[in-house]
Amino acid sequence: MLLCLVCFQTYAQDSSLHVKTLQGVDVRAVRMEPLTSKASMPVTVISKKALDMMGSRRLDEVLREQTGLALVSDIGAGSRAVGVQMQGLGSAYIMVLIDGQPMIGRNSGNFDLSRITVSEIERIEIVKGASSCLFGSEALGGVINIITRQNITNGRQAMAQVRYGTQNNTDITLEGETPFAAGKADASLSLNFFHTDGFNVNPYLTQGVTAPPYNSYSMQGRMRYKLGPAHTLSFTGRGALRTSVNESVYGTGMAANKDKMNESDLNGSVALLSSISNNWKLKTQYYLTRYESNQRVSNGKATLQRNEFAQYFHRLEVQTVNNISNTVSVTGGVGGNLETMAHNEFINGNAMSAAFAYMQGDWKPGVKAGARLGFRYDYHNYYGGRINPGIGFNYSPFSFLDIKAAVGTGYKTPGFKERFQVFTNPQAGYTVVGVEQAASVLASMQANGQISEIRPIAKTISNDLKPETSVSYNLGITLTPVKMVKIEVSGFYNDLSNFINTVQVATQTNFQPVWSYINLKKSFTGGMEANVSWAGIKGLEVSAGYQLLYAKDRGMIDSVKSGRYPYNKVRNNETGETRASKASDYIGLENRSRHMGNVRVFYEYAPLGMSATFRVNYRGKAGYDDANNNRFLDKYDTFIDGYYLLNASLEKKLVKDKLSVQLTVDNLMDYTDMLMPAQPGRIVMLGAKWRFTGNTQRINQIKE
Amino acid sequence: MHTRTALLATLLLFAACKKEDNNVKKDTYEDGVSTVIYDLAGDTEASVGEGADGKVMRPFKPFFFRFNGKQQSWDSSATNRQSNSWDIAFTDVYNALVYPNSGTDGRNPGYGGAGKGLIVMVDKPYASVTQAPTEAEMKTNNLGFVGWDGYPQPYNDGWYFYSLQTHLAIAIRNRTFVLLTAEGKFAKLELINVYKGNPPAVTDLHWPAPYFTFRYFVQEDGSRNLKTP
Repeated sequence: MLLCLVCFQTYAQDSSLHVKTLQGVDVRAVRMEPLTSKASMPVTVISKKALDMMGSRRLDEVLREQTGLALVSDIGAGSRAVGVQMQGLGSAYIMVLIDGQPMIGRNSGNFDLSRITVSEIERIEIVKGASSCLFGSEALGGVINIITRQNITNGRQAMAQVRYGTQNNTDITLEGETPFAAGKADASLSLNFFHTDGFNVNPYLTQGVTAPPYNSYSMQGRMRYKLGPAHTLSFTGRGALRTSVNESVYGTGMAANKDKMNESDLNGSVALLSSISNNWKLKTQYYLTRYESNQRVSNGKATLQRNEFAQYFHRLEVQTVNNISNTVSVTGGVGGNLETMAHNEFINGNAMSAAFAYMQGDWKPGVKAGARLGFRYDYHNYYGGRINPGIGFNYSPFSFLDIKAAVGTGYKTPGFKERFQVFTNPQAGYTVVGVEQAASVLASMQANGQISEIRPIAKTISNDLKPETSVSYNLGITLTPVKMVKIEVSGFYNDLSNFINTVQVATQTNFQPVWSYINLKKSFTGGMEANVSWAGIKGLEVSAGYQLLYAKDRGMIDSVKSGRYPYNKVRNNETGETRASKASDYIGLENRSRHMGNVRVFYEYAPLGMSATFRVNYRGKAGYDDANNNRFLDKYDTFIDGYYLLNASLEKKLVKDKLSVQLTVDNLMDYTDMLMPAQPGRIVMLGAKWRFTGNTQRINQIKE
Repeated sequence: MHTRTALLATLLLFAACKKEDNNVKKDTYEDGVSTVIYDLAGDTEASVGEGADGKVMRPFKPFFFRFNGKQQSWDSSATNRQSNSWDIAFTDVYNALVYPNSGTDGRNPGYGGAGKGLIVMVDKPYASVTQAPTEAEMKTNNLGFVGWDGYPQPYNDGWYFYSLQTHLAIAIRNRTFVLLTAEGKFAKLELINVYKGNPPAVTDLHWPAPYFTFRYFVQEDGSRNLKTP
């Protein structure tokens, strides 16, 4: 199976070819390529067409099907904490952008991608590897850039779509766009409602679900006004609300754990796009985003968990692209951010500000070779300045071979949580304190007689927690032996330092630890990715992707080698025998699969207006948790079994392509695992879409 | 056509691989001789942290358990503690610190009474523990109590530990404790889980606890024979 997985390529990467230039446009607005397309690290593009054919409703469904990406539950952060993992790096290190600007609102570092409806997405660009050179703090492991609908109006048109299926999943989208002011302006509006009853994969629950139910309401609008031949003013706004209540009951006659969440998400921007000359474009933008989460779990007697916060992020930025000559282009920008946070667990320090400047040169002396070099300087009001470079080369010695190499760096400044958190788990009783609160909190706990021991390390918990950093290396080749076949193979290595980890600084009189944060971990993730595609028959594309991954904590390797308790032993949980540990007993970080892969078939038969997709995703065995109390993952611990998920879709266009009917089946074999609470079983959806239009030209172009 | 055949073949292949019951492997503990206790509720009203009203909630009330007759008692009076009416006590955080009934150990809830209890670890699966160590050996290796493995000191063998990933308690599988009951009979004990329903892995931070699943066998004839099927 794996051998054949290696032999194909992802549809997504190939599908970038399908993003064709749209022609015949009245309002030719000034546009700029997204920065993600300029990254030196590898970029994967998922097109609107692929999204439409797959029929996915929420962003997490799309991304879990991409080579090297996995959706993982963070059990320790609660049942709503799910994040995306890329090249073995956790969600906290993956930046999520909307039209190039950062989205905020994370649950212990996890960005829940199911917040975002697919209906408002035009294209997704994924950068794998450290890219702080272009994006600054947080782009330590990679970037996911969601490009929303960039309407090019050719007339008034609208679309309505309704989908319904398993678990009362309901997805309703209405969108419309129109030119106005005598063709000088255009506006578009998209509305989406989504409901799900959630999904349960836990047989011990007599009521409630493991993937929470929710209602989501999203609205997205865009307006552009052409001020003159060289200037376009653009307004975009997005608002999303989500409400969710999940009452979990274990067994009969038990009280319910009521988990209630309301979240709201706003993004808005005003941008002036200017063509100073044919070769020089300038974008001046103000971006504001706000995220608020109110989550509370209670059992009627006590509050078990609270996650209540409101966060603002403002950015003012000027960005420029200048094509100096046919062979050289320069991209650059300057800007500043202000971020504020009000959180139930954080004390003091509710604002951070930063300024940045970046510049990248792209040099393409001929068809055979190219190079890019960039730098970014970020200044943080507390953590000071930092320079991140990025460099990339490509060389094509023959027409069928292209070689690419890139190095990028990444960093992430400690967030509000690592600095200002003061939290006591109401059930387990442990306490976590941010580094800037540690001294005062420990002093007051001691005064109250709650502390039995303060560890020596508590003295080194000071205010100078350092940013986490990474260096990514990527080397790849692309082979096109014949026109219909494309083979890409690359090796990647991410070297991570100063990773922030929790450390026990004291013990309470109730036996429970007090944790704080420390720069401790040195880790690495490395491996290879292969993508192969074949497009030999008109309308048919077959592709496959594979990722091999090694992800280890160097500190853990050292601990095992040092023979220190409790890392010095391995217990066989079947026989009860314990022996001394060896470095080779350490498997790696939890929740990482050595092997992941996919095979996809996308087929479109134009004469009948029919299209179909069939996708298989494989995720290999991954560590779940320690089972023998040596604090590292060895073969006797708990693992999530490897599994395949099968997804299929079928679409038929009717009434001169105005109507389309689509049937989608996700997780066809209904594979579920209690250890993957957020992975639903089989979901069957039936949907219909109707396009109202005065001019079909654009639709045909979009479908191309 | 080839594509279709291939798809069909793949489908069949995966149908064969499908697993049932969400990957839950249920062990059976009944061997016909031992007593298995399922979901014995501890002090589920207590918590170690703060309650909804912001006040510190009360600590866990200990409870006492007599092997003979499967008797749970919440009577913490000195009379009951110092009597031979119980064999093991579930105390402290999550009631997870387990003591035998010893009248001579100063830390023991039965201190000052007549209890002859001792407890030692035999790190083997329950069924393969067929003979108890001698009383002299048990006195030498007596753990006094069993709770958090390796805590407060590495030599404090226990029956569970806290996960660094989730801070949830994980019981160590196939670990057996041999003990002397209050009356001095040899017995073996396996403490299986603290979470309701005895799940193989806990996937929810708020999974109800403490609900104890454990099994034991008492050799009534006074010998060291602990053979169970």
